[in-house]
Amino acid sequence: MKLYCLSGHPTLPCNVLKFKSTTIMLDCGLDTTSVLNFLPLPLVHSPRLSKLPSWVSKDGTINLEKELKECAGRVFVDSQPEFCLPERELLDLSTVDVILVSNYHCMMALPYITEHTGFTGTVYATEPTLQIGRLLMEELVTFMERVPKAQSATCWKNKEIQRMLPGPLKDAVDVWTWKRSYSMQEVNSALSKVQLVGYSQKVELFGAVQVSPLSSGYSLGSSNWIIQSHHEKVSYVSGSSLLTTHPQPMDQSSLKNSDVLILTGLTQMPTANPDGMLGEFCSNLAMTIRAGGNVLVPCYSSGVIYDLLECLYQFIDNANLGTTPFYFISPVANSSLEFSQIFAEWLCHNKQSKVYLPEPPFPHAELIQTNKLKHYSSIHGDFSSEFRQPCVVFTGHPSLRFGDVVHFMELWGKSSLNTIIFTEPDFSYLDALAPYQPLAMKCVYCPIDTRLNFHQVSKLLKEVQPLHVVCPEQYTQPPQSQAHRSDLMLELHPPPMPYRRCSVLNLPFRRRYERVYILPELANSLVPSEIKPGVSLATVSAVLHSKDNKHTLQRLHAIPNVPKKRKRVPEEPPVLLGPKPLLSGAVPLEAFLATLQKHGITEVKVEETADGHILHLQAEDTLIQLEEDGTHIVCDNNEPLRTTLRDLVLRFLQRL
Amino acid sequence: MDADCASLLPGVCAVLAASGRSLPDDTSLEKLLDWFTGLTEAGGSLLEACPCLLEFISTVVLNTAVDPGVLSFALRLTGLMAATEDGYEKLQERSVLDQVFQLQRWREAGLWEDPCLRIGWILGLRSMLQHPKALCFFVQSDFIDPLLQLQTDASLFVASAANQMLAHILLFFQPVPSLGCNGVDKKEEDDDDGTKRASAAYAAALAAISGYLKESLVPKKYTALRQSLQILKLLALLLAAAGPPLCDGLLQTAGDPLEDLVAAGCSQLTLPLMDVLLAACSSSGFNQRVPDQRVGRLLSSMLDVNEPADLLHAAAAFLRRGHHSDVVNTTRAVRILLLPLHIVTGQTLLGTNATADGRRSSAVEQLKCKTSCISMTCVTLTNAPRIALLPLGVLPCAPDLIVTAVLSLLRICSGVSSSSPPGCGEVCRNVIGSGKVQKCALEALTALDGSPGATEKTSEVFTVLMQYLENPDSDPTVLHKSYQAFVKWTGVCTDLSFVTDQLRLDLVELVRRRACDMRWEVRDSTVEFLGQLAGLRASAATTEGTASDALLGARCTTPLLKEALQDAESYVRASAVSALAKSLTHGWQQGAAPSEDEKEIVSRLLEILSQDTEGFPRRAVVQYFASWFSSSASPSSAPLLMRCARSVLSQGSADLDWEVKVHTLELAQLLLDEAFSGHRGYRKVSDAPHPRAAVSELTRAPRASPEGAESDLAAAVELGVVAALLSGLVDCDRPVGLRACRLLMALRDAVCPPGPPDATAAVATVSCELPGGGGWGEEIRKTLGVESGEGGARVSVCEALRSLGLDERLDVLTRSSDHVHNSPLSLLQDILTASAAHTRADTQPGEEVIVDCY
Repeated sequence: MKLYCLSGHPTLPCNVLKFKSTTIMLDCGLDTTSVLNFLPLPLVHSPRLSKLPSWVSKDGTINLEKELKECAGRVFVDSQPEFCLPERELLDLSTVDVILVSNYHCMMALPYITEHTGFTGTVYATEPTLQIGRLLMEELVTFMERVPKAQSATCWKNKEIQRMLPGPLKDAVDVWTWKRSYSMQEVNSALSKVQLVGYSQKVELFGAVQVSPLSSGYSLGSSNWIIQSHHEKVSYVSGSSLLTTHPQPMDQSSLKNSDVLILTGLTQMPTANPDGMLGEFCSNLAMTIRAGGNVLVPCYSSGVIYDLLECLYQFIDNANLGTTPFYFISPVANSSLEFSQIFAEWLCHNKQSKVYLPEPPFPHAELIQTNKLKHYSSIHGDFSSEFRQPCVVFTGHPSLRFGDVVHFMELWGKSSLNTIIFTEPDFSYLDALAPYQPLAMKCVYCPIDTRLNFHQVSKLLKEVQPLHVVCPEQYTQPPQSQAHRSDLMLELHPPPMPYRRCSVLNLPFRRRYERVYILPELANSLVPSEIKPGVSLATVSAVLHSKDNKHTLQRLHAIPNVPKKRKRVPEEPPVLLGPKPLLSGAVPLEAFLATLQKHGITEVKVEETADGHILHLQAEDTLIQLEEDGTHIVCDNNEPLRTTLRDLVLRFLQRL
Repeated sequence: MDADCASLLPGVCAVLAASGRSLPDDTSLEKLLDWFTGLTEAGGSLLEACPCLLEFISTVVLNTAVDPGVLSFALRLTGLMAATEDGYEKLQERSVLDQVFQLQRWREAGLWEDPCLRIGWILGLRSMLQHPKALCFFVQSDFIDPLLQLQTDASLFVASAANQMLAHILLFFQPVPSLGCNGVDKKEEDDDDGTKRASAAYAAALAAISGYLKESLVPKKYTALRQSLQILKLLALLLAAAGPPLCDGLLQTAGDPLEDLVAAGCSQLTLPLMDVLLAACSSSGFNQRVPDQRVGRLLSSMLDVNEPADLLHAAAAFLRRGHHSDVVNTTRAVRILLLPLHIVTGQTLLGTNATADGRRSSAVEQLKCKTSCISMTCVTLTNAPRIALLPLGVLPCAPDLIVTAVLSLLRICSGVSSSSPPGCGEVCRNVIGSGKVQKCALEALTALDGSPGATEKTSEVFTVLMQYLENPDSDPTVLHKSYQAFVKWTGVCTDLSFVTDQLRLDLVELVRRRACDMRWEVRDSTVEFLGQLAGLRASAATTEGTASDALLGARCTTPLLKEALQDAESYVRASAVSALAKSLTHGWQQGAAPSEDEKEIVSRLLEILSQDTEGFPRRAVVQYFASWFSSSASPSSAPLLMRCARSVLSQGSADLDWEVKVHTLELAQLLLDEAFSGHRGYRKVSDAPHPRAAVSELTRAPRASPEGAESDLAAAVELGVVAALLSGLVDCDRPVGLRACRLLMALRDAVCPPGPPDATAAVATVSCELPGGGGWGEEIRKTLGVESGEGGARVSVCEALRSLGLDERLDVLTRSSDHVHNSPLSLLQDILTASAAHTRADTQPGEEVIVDCY
């Protein structure tokens, strides 16, 4: 059993598991942090961005005037932003049989995998994952295609040139593999390969293994996966949460008794408690509005935003913010808000029960109804005429490199009254703000990451007790910035197996058993004999027939004709001779010596060994080794004696 | 005892003797006993006053079918009656005592199993044992052994009562002349027969108890631990109060077993053992004698046990009892207590050679377990402020290092500390994020503000507190404690010059944000903090400015507090009102004219008083005006204040919340004090329980003549003070009525004192309006017998004050509202009524018993 690790990002994993005869891809996350190296894509012409000076190396030798711009001491690529894809050279991705998706954030690289690698398999995901994943992809495509860039910068990727660039561009890895966004057509084609599954539904893969999604409590429809055969069980834990937010709670008990547990998607902010962050978010928001400023919240169009809106729903009256408008701007804003209301069966119990009242499960419906929350597909159109300040705007993309958020950064960045509050943990806020410097706007970092923290995961692992744990190497040591916090890492016995991008791990357990079926008529013909009370044995001579990973024992005469098209023809027909009998039992020493004596062998020297006895027949110069699991007769050039001795031994043993 | 009660008592006795099951409630017997105790203590003889009681006892004790509760009552009553020698003898004459306390009888009847009876037996004897004869009876009846057995009774109440009783016997009768006349003193001159007998009885009791102590103090097996525990408690009780001979005797008896116990090192006995040893120490200290060397040695051994947690508790107990003259042990206790802090923080509190300390490794092991780590750290922290105040000689480090260590612990707790002491990563992990340790450490820090050298640390303290206040994960209690610590430390600063601009900016930003927090508790603490800072002087040397101005700037507090007046949570609104009062006090004292801001605040406050649906903000508003009035240099020359006072009086006295009304009356009192304190006869009403007991105090020189009384009274009427007082007088809430009544009496004494009417003729012309429409005006009119007109009536204030019967009213109001129901008469009646109802219910099963619940 092997695990190929195609992504180094612990929360955007992409691993391939070879288990029995199947090749299963676990998630295909897209590492979008690469876009931070690019200049933002403004929706409206930005004089500031267009006037940024080109970057010239100190000695003046490198001048990529059209490709690199400088802003506040940092260098940015002036081109359509590109993404860092999962590794595609480590194994032939066309051999992947299925892709299991655990949540909508972890499927963003799907079109790159399904459309350009010869992939012919099936993708399994829950319905909310598919639908919201589609929205996020659609949003990404719209953001990019809305602001087309004619040029595509490639010169800077030249190794010689990249070496000369300032950090962090200099240190970016595999820049040649970075790719521009996919198209809507590719998205549609990729998503057409998705087959929907429900929690705990069992899907057979080629008869070899069974896969089944379990609720992971992180987002709508998010799942962990169980991959098991008759005798082995692998659990794949990706973004999971034990907090009470909107999704169905995490199913922990089904993870018990795993041979291997692959652990990914822990919180990226182990020291930031989501509740505390939510509180900070609200108080900073209220403080800004009271002082007459605007609040910008760069966020994804699905996920934590539902919880933020719910929290604000309770908070705005308390904080006298009833008249402040809240805007949610995204090409998919409307669908996202509405989808969240229709996936009742995927929600936590509280929200599910609201549906029977009937009431919308999320209170943002009421915010919309009372006109406190308004949503628009973009800043163009209705929004521009209804826009009132001070206000709160939720919009994407959290990287601040594309989407409507770029416009608001340009609009509000100059005033210290305004505040930008980062809630998504995926991007470093300092890096995200780099191309907007100098910035007068206040910045608040309240990353809300509801995924498991180290404390919770240690408790979980204690309960489910997997034999082996595999995890990204980042989890096996404290974060770099807090090297003394030994509580912020996984400490397990045995220690977890760490992986990094391009690792190939031999998972440390051997498959020992396989289930084989026996046909009734063959079973009828068996004659078991009891070798000890309650245990009977019988020898079977049969033909092993394997098809679709199912193994059946059939009677010898019933060998089917081998179809011609099969490539591997058995080299010789099965031997029809009866099998040699099997022996069992032990040779009792005293009785055996007595028998030898009867047969005239009297000079026997018995030597005790660790496993049994050695009998030295001195006159015959022969040794008999009696051991627990074997008997050896060492007798040179005296075949009759050997046969006699053999027969004497056999008298004491049982034949099957 | 009044005649009514005396006539009912025989009936009640009959009811109780009959069965006792039909008592109105299970506290009736206790109430009866309380009443009897009261009568006895007042010097009356129960036997003479109610002979029926003796009959009752004689009947009841013979009838074992009676409810055990009633039997227990009878036992206790007997003890009460035998508490005097006289009573005792009368009961002895009729052999009642033998009958009542005879154990054998109760055992045979199977009633001894009932803890109720056992406790009755103990408490009865306890009441009786007030004179030597009782002691002789007790000893002769061989009651000591059963009592000692009861010390480990299954019922905790019985066991505890037995312990108390044993202590009582030895202490009450101990032969020390200086302890009073109770003692059974061998050296007494008139060495009569009785005294001899009593001495012998005491000696016998002492011998029995001492023998028991010696025998059973060391547990024979683990299950006997409880017995040891009880004996230790008894010893502690005895040693704490015993005179020298008894004390010495006890220590001699218990010395060996105590040594054995200390050597056994049983965790559960650590604290009781410490109590005993410390009590022994104090008693010798109290008598100015050289402490028993053995006790000192045992204490030292206790401070040397192996189990780190026990050791810590022993040291804490030692320090708490404050035997600081014992330098050796104090030094040792301090080192023990500081060890966990030394280990967790890596601060060299115990010097650099502490690592060689053998205890360190076992303490580290213990600290690796999360629960014991948290509890040990908290014990250390609780004691840290006390330690820091100890003389330098016993401290292993400078006191300010303790502050540094607490700060360092706070940093570790919040996870911001960049390093953990070598080898203690596992220990530190246990306290990271622990709310309990954070709270304890903040409390310790708050209390450490007065320790020597603390002022040097102020800047560092503020940095750590800011980290806590900034931390989004700090829970509301932690934030509250951080604020408190901040205020306390600001208070000890002689000047705030070290405050950097950055700290100022951060603090302003912080309070702004916390004032918008989602959790109301946090908003409340923030608002409270703003008020407290505003109330602090920035510098002890100058009177200019407040700490709030120095730390937050002049323009930060008021806008935030104004905003908080509109908070959704009523507690926050109330705190904001109080904080505003604190922040404006300084200006009021200076007599500055109200700013526009202040005028706006005032109108908002009046709005709250008239419209807020919750009581807390309204109460705070009334208090705001009261504090404005009292801190104002010349309130009557502040027109805005006087205008407001009028509205507050009229709205506050009509409020639905009784506390608002009481606060309104406080304002009325301030107005009265202001107007009449110069008048002869005016006495300030204090909060003393009875107005006659109130200390009168004339703050200003009395005016030469009562001139001006008329105008002052007219002004008071005009302001609405008199109306507020009159409406308060007839209020249905007793505290309101009481207060109003006292104030009206003070007013009466000032403006229309008893005497020739001509002196007050001018004052008598001042009248006030009694509004019509069924309110308080109607009520007052009825009392005065004034005919009600359509739109109300005017009455002369003086006449009203004289005719309202204020003195009688006061008498009624000062009694508690349930005085009628709590009287013995009512109790007796209740018992009889319940019994009658019970009997009826028994005879006519179909009839429903209606219980009147008032």
